[in-house]
Amino acid sequence: MDDNLFEKLRILSDAAKYDVSCVSSGVERKNNTVGGIGNASSAGICHAWSTDGRCISLLKILLTNDCIYDCKYCLNRVTNPIERATFTPEEVAELTIQFYRRNYIEGLFLSSAVEKSPDHTMENIYRVLELLRYKYNFWGYVHVKVIPGANSLLVQKTGMLADRMSVNIELPTRESLHILAPQKKVENILQPMSIIHNEISRAIEDKSHFKNFQKFVPGGQSTQMIIGATPDSDKTILKLSQNLYDKFSMKRVFFSAYIPVMSSPNLPAVSTMPPLLREHRLYQADWLMRFYYFNSAELFTEIEPNLDLEFDPKMMYALRNIDRFPIEINKASYEELLRIPGLGVTSAQRIIKERKNAELSYDSLKKMRTVLKRAKYFITVKGKYYGNTKLDPDAIKDEIRMKEIQRQISIFEI
Amino acid sequence: MDYLYDGSFEGLMTCIYYHYKKEKAAGIYEISCYQQSIVFQSETVETDISKAKIVSDAINKLISKEAYIYVYYCYLSNDADKENLIMDFLIFAFKYGRKTMNFYTHEKVLPINEIYKKVAREEHRVLGILRFSDIGGILYAKYSPDNDINILLADHFADRYKFEKFIIYDEKRKKAVVYADNVWEIKENISIDNMEFSLNETMIHKLWKQYFTDLAIKERKNINLQFQFVPARYRKNMTEFKL
Repeated sequence: MDDNLFEKLRILSDAAKYDVSCVSSGVERKNNTVGGIGNASSAGICHAWSTDGRCISLLKILLTNDCIYDCKYCLNRVTNPIERATFTPEEVAELTIQFYRRNYIEGLFLSSAVEKSPDHTMENIYRVLELLRYKYNFWGYVHVKVIPGANSLLVQKTGMLADRMSVNIELPTRESLHILAPQKKVENILQPMSIIHNEISRAIEDKSHFKNFQKFVPGGQSTQMIIGATPDSDKTILKLSQNLYDKFSMKRVFFSAYIPVMSSPNLPAVSTMPPLLREHRLYQADWLMRFYYFNSAELFTEIEPNLDLEFDPKMMYALRNIDRFPIEINKASYEELLRIPGLGVTSAQRIIKERKNAELSYDSLKKMRTVLKRAKYFITVKGKYYGNTKLDPDAIKDEIRMKEIQRQISIFEI
Repeated sequence: MDYLYDGSFEGLMTCIYYHYKKEKAAGIYEISCYQQSIVFQSETVETDISKAKIVSDAINKLISKEAYIYVYYCYLSNDADKENLIMDFLIFAFKYGRKTMNFYTHEKVLPINEIYKKVAREEHRVLGILRFSDIGGILYAKYSPDNDINILLADHFADRYKFEKFIIYDEKRKKAVVYADNVWEIKENISIDNMEFSLNETMIHKLWKQYFTDLAIKERKNINLQFQFVPARYRKNMTEFKL
């Protein structure tokens, strides 16, 4: 291992940090090799947490940050005078194995700037996978990015060895992509997504017919878009998300709050704070769509195409549809329980289970560790309402605001 | 009658056996921690594998496999009163049979549920934060878990590092999981001195520390959140937090 490695790692992990996908979940695999190393756990394993509180489960690096494109929002754009570095595929594979052996990581997340051409870059990405799987006999988790514009055969070859693949959609509309990243054509982004989707479907189909079928990205595909770099609304963003989930059976759509890296007439000012709260609300809405049976349209009104920053999306939904509440805990269906603000999937499932034994009381809900802080305004338990206020959106908002102020004051009381 | 056992799971099960077949237990205690009660007599129970098996089979058949796992996890916990909580649970559970685990919030069942969650949470966390070093080709990891989870880690790492050799050392309890050639075992009462690392090994540690530090996004700094996920007490054995 040479000293150059420190430099390369410094530059190329720093450059990769804005690709927020970091999950190592979705694939269950035992070590069925001869002489090989590694397995995969479907729940994913968090190995470390950085100072920004994010979980680290993979070695997340760029193969190179030497890019031929000039996307306005990107640190690595060709016109930016920064340090450039490139790993050899052998270096990436070796680093992955050594980190994996020491239990620092579950596997590798490999992205890249576009060096020389999409095909040239994708070839190198494939080479890393080939080394890991066939030379090192490594069967931990590997997630690779697909370079838009790379030829389909390369995409297919890579998918047979990777656990997950992503093509970044980058921006929510064709127009914003054209303004900020004109070299990235929408067709070049959608085409590999389509190929991946088709191959995954084929593999699933084969699985039901053949014993030894060719696997293809068993962890599915995901994508990422930057939010806050353009004036597009949350409604637009989530509608696009919903389409991606439906049409490409996307496993995850990731949102990355735009961190200003340069000034441009088409971008927010460099002094703009990254929209972290907005990103958080979008993830909450994403969860509602995937686990709580919400449709993206239900989260917005005609006049309000953005998610509220003060209150979470489920709370806003409940306040806007107050006529559907209060819901009786002992009689509600699972889907109805999921609509109650502050009540999560775990609590809803537990309520359904416990109801079989006995009628639930307010006390038994508390004993089950159901968080009633917000839910209490929207439910009755055995017919009784514990909300301490009228069932009125403004009254409830005021109650919650007051409780929050009281809580903050109490922190300072001795 | 207070029953005293040797600290093993089979010993605990033997005490349960005697509670039903001999004399009702007032409490069960590990012999090394016991202070003679004024009210109750005490008897030292000799661990009997066949009697223990009768109890564990009964738990599996009459209650459920899930209950058996929960009881075992509770045994592994560092909870001071675990034996008595387990006993109270089993007395209740043998009465209610297969439906027992549905009574999630029942005062006899809830403690077992909570302790199981605590141990399972630590198990999952440790799978991630355990750090190995390569010492002459053998992977060595040291840690200080709250609960006695050595045995819960063995299968996972035996599969992950199938063709390697490793040692996972619990420095608090002085016991280790030792694995080689497809077989792992737990060795007790061992002491491992501080290890010296090769130059290459130190280099890899440095690479990891650098990587770990570099990928944090400064604009999203949240030290409290980091402490929530990785409490201070785990950090002394983690490469990225060592000087």
